[in-house]
Amino acid sequence: MGGIESGCGGLRLRGFRFLGVVAALYLALALYDPHRCMAALRIAGETLATILPILAVVIVISAAIFWRFDPREFAKRMERHGAKKRRLFALVAGVLSHGPMYAWYPLIGDLRRHGVGDGEIATFFFARAVKVPIFPLMVHYFGWPFSVFLTLYILVGAWIQGILVDRIERGIR
Amino acid sequence: MNAFLAQLRRSARQMLALSPMILGVIALVGIVRVLLTPAAIGRLFDGNWLHDTLVGTLAGMVAVGQAIVSYLLGGELLDAGVSLYAVSAFVLAWVSLGVVQLPLEVEVLGGRFTLLRNALAFVFTILIAVATVWSVRWVG
Repeated sequence: MGGIESGCGGLRLRGFRFLGVVAALYLALALYDPHRCMAALRIAGETLATILPILAVVIVISAAIFWRFDPREFAKRMERHGAKKRRLFALVAGVLSHGPMYAWYPLIGDLRRHGVGDGEIATFFFARAVKVPIFPLMVHYFGWPFSVFLTLYILVGAWIQGILVDRIERGIR
Repeated sequence: MNAFLAQLRRSARQMLALSPMILGVIALVGIVRVLLTPAAIGRLFDGNWLHDTLVGTLAGMVAVGQAIVSYLLGGELLDAGVSLYAVSAFVLAWVSLGVVQLPLEVEVLGGRFTLLRNALAFVFTILIAVATVWSVRWVG
């Protein structure tokens, strides 16, 4: 998707075409409604400021994982644990992970290239819907029964999705 | 320690490689949040549980921001008389689905996996929203 080789050590920057499409949307918005365009830019700037520390944390976590474990060895070790333990690990990791989903794509993509299964990745992503730090706020707005049932069903749903992704992919192969 | 620094450099380079895509997603967040206001979202619902659940899921997919915002917005929608089906689906879709980040997900994880994962997440969001409301009513 619009990859460009940069000058620094052959680093291939990806996504320029997508960035270009978004820039064109801003241009259209600027012509149609300049005030909203400025507001959108301000929100994007604030979002970037919020995301940068999270991206830094993801880089450090990613480096720590690959420093302590050889990725192939890590994937093999996960394989030895059996499907249920792997899925449980993905579930807990998803619940504990922080920040927007897209901040985790590089790390997840790397783990996947080294053998972590698609089922575990699907479980990880859906389990991220459980937000432990703001659980009290959910209780405040929607009450205990709603918050407990929703959380429980998200965990069950994440588990089942992992199983389904594995089965569907096995069926496709 | 040198090995860790080498890994840190490698991880930073991988993130940097995706930076145009990440910047594009963040920029798109700004546009969506400006165009999709709480008032605009509230007008989408009509009280029919199936319609509201579906529309809540679709609105949550398109909306972007911190999860905490979806709770605040969900609370406002409930106060405005929007059904719990709609709010459950909206809050869950907000954190589990995301149209804005789809291009990045396709780029990193591939089109087939992205389609499969998001299709399943979409179906489960609807099922979980309905099951949550039924369970809440069941316990009274």
